[in-house]
Amino acid sequence: MEFIAQGFVQALALLLTGDPETWSAIEVTVRLTALSMLASLLLGLPLGILLGSRDFPGKGWVRVAVDTCLSLPTVVVGLLVYAFLSRQGPLGSLNLLFTVRGMAIGQVFLALPIVVALTASALEGADPRMMMTLQTLGTPPGRMMLSVLRELRYAVLAAAVTAYGRVVAEVGVSMMLGGNIKWHTRTITTAITLETGKGEFSMGIALGLVLLSISFALNGALSLFRRRAAS
Amino acid sequence: MRSAVYRLENLQVRYGNRLVLDVGHLEIGEGSILGLEGPNGSGKSTLLRVLAFLESPTAGSLLFMGVSASGCDPLALRRQVTLLLQDPYLLRTSVFENVAYGLRARGIREGIRERVFHSLELVGLDPASFAGRPWKSLSGGEARRVAMASRLAIRTPVLLLDEPTAGVDAESAVLLKSAALKAREEWGATLVVVSHDMAWMSQVADTLLAFQDGRPGRHVVHNRFDGPWSEQDGGLWSMSIGDGQSVVATKPPASGRTGFLDAEDITVAVRRPQGLSMRNAIRVTVLQMTLENGSGAVLLKGACGNRILTARLTRSSAAELGLVPGTEAWFLFKASAFQWE
Repeated sequence: MEFIAQGFVQALALLLTGDPETWSAIEVTVRLTALSMLASLLLGLPLGILLGSRDFPGKGWVRVAVDTCLSLPTVVVGLLVYAFLSRQGPLGSLNLLFTVRGMAIGQVFLALPIVVALTASALEGADPRMMMTLQTLGTPPGRMMLSVLRELRYAVLAAAVTAYGRVVAEVGVSMMLGGNIKWHTRTITTAITLETGKGEFSMGIALGLVLLSISFALNGALSLFRRRAAS
Repeated sequence: MRSAVYRLENLQVRYGNRLVLDVGHLEIGEGSILGLEGPNGSGKSTLLRVLAFLESPTAGSLLFMGVSASGCDPLALRRQVTLLLQDPYLLRTSVFENVAYGLRARGIREGIRERVFHSLELVGLDPASFAGRPWKSLSGGEARRVAMASRLAIRTPVLLLDEPTAGVDAESAVLLKSAALKAREEWGATLVVVSHDMAWMSQVADTLLAFQDGRPGRHVVHNRFDGPWSEQDGGLWSMSIGDGQSVVATKPPASGRTGFLDAEDITVAVRRPQGLSMRNAIRVTVLQMTLENGSGAVLLKGACGNRILTARLTRSSAAELGLVPGTEAWFLFKASAFQWE
């Protein structure tokens, strides 16, 4: 048990002294998830609104497909995107394999279905008077999406936080598409996997603490935001 | 005569096989107030949604300001009309932003504060104390007034109100009613109001339509005969109506009583018929023929001396008779057709 306690003490020391290797993994994680979330929200929110508010032939099947993608195994996504980004793959010439941008593409496949499905569900469950009110007040189509997002902001934020939880905690995509290259594509989760394998618990615990803190901060902020809105 | 803002012809709305709205003919004049009444599910709210361009008719034609609505840009149409829902939805923001929303949606940047404050004043809410309040802090009546203010702020030519006073406190009801009338006074808005407040409706509405099973009912159009009636031979009573003619009725309750004759009970002929059991055959000069709002029947006004009588006939009979203003016609009705005051 002593090595666990020691691990915690050394972890705090690594974080507080600004250990470059530890902080590099944190920085890569923040950059990577910011990029993948930005792309997922830009694509997912309009798609979710369309799926939740419009009727079209085959909508039921699209819904089933999106829901299936919610539980895509990360290694399967990693494998498929790897095949596309590798030298022989159709996107090989873009040289995205083992880069943060390449990893972000893989993560979009994990986050996008969550954003689309939860936004569509929020729309389907929304007050039917909301759309009618926005229409009868003369909202142009371009503004309609922003107004709907504003009205459903808590549900949309919850979708974003859930999606972020998925991408920040995944290992498969980051490992396969990033290659766990120190200073470049090593993220918190791939670093923990490596360090634990090497028996270096302190760095693993330090990064684990950071991961937990990110999750706590995001969910805490969401809960505070909701409570403020409810009061 | 005021020009028509809306003109509906044989308009129908179906949900699957169910016919929920069936309007033969309806014209709503500019600056007029049309009142709609009827039981729940009778088609009133569906008509409001069609008039607000939130729902498209399944069949028939809808002209707005003389142009067919089906060929127009929905946004351009919706910006001319606004609808206050029976249970209005407030945006999840402050009172000020709720009222300003429609203005911002139209790209208006200047004078927003003045227009928002003026609209709040129109519904009896003090802007200084209400503008900053969040939507959640309002009572039911206040929320309804804020929703009304947000419709007034955009000053649309048409204001559609679905039960604006149902379920609100007495003070809010009075303020909502006066705000609706101010919209007509200030910018000549045309109002279509669904309401169970019959006292108010009969006071302010230019036309009242009663809906039943998706159809506007036929309203009773009375011809009024104020008396005095004088007794004739054979137990009948008569009253002179000018132009040397008189009407004959069965015994009125008193000589000075007013008799009413439903336009529906008058048969129209182009020549004086012979051998008729009806006791009344009045010669009139055709003045005007109009389509009746709602039913789509033809109301024929005929002059007899200084008096104008109205008869109702179907469109096909009107076409068969070939009557035009200025021609002579005969109004036929029974002596027993009168109803007494």
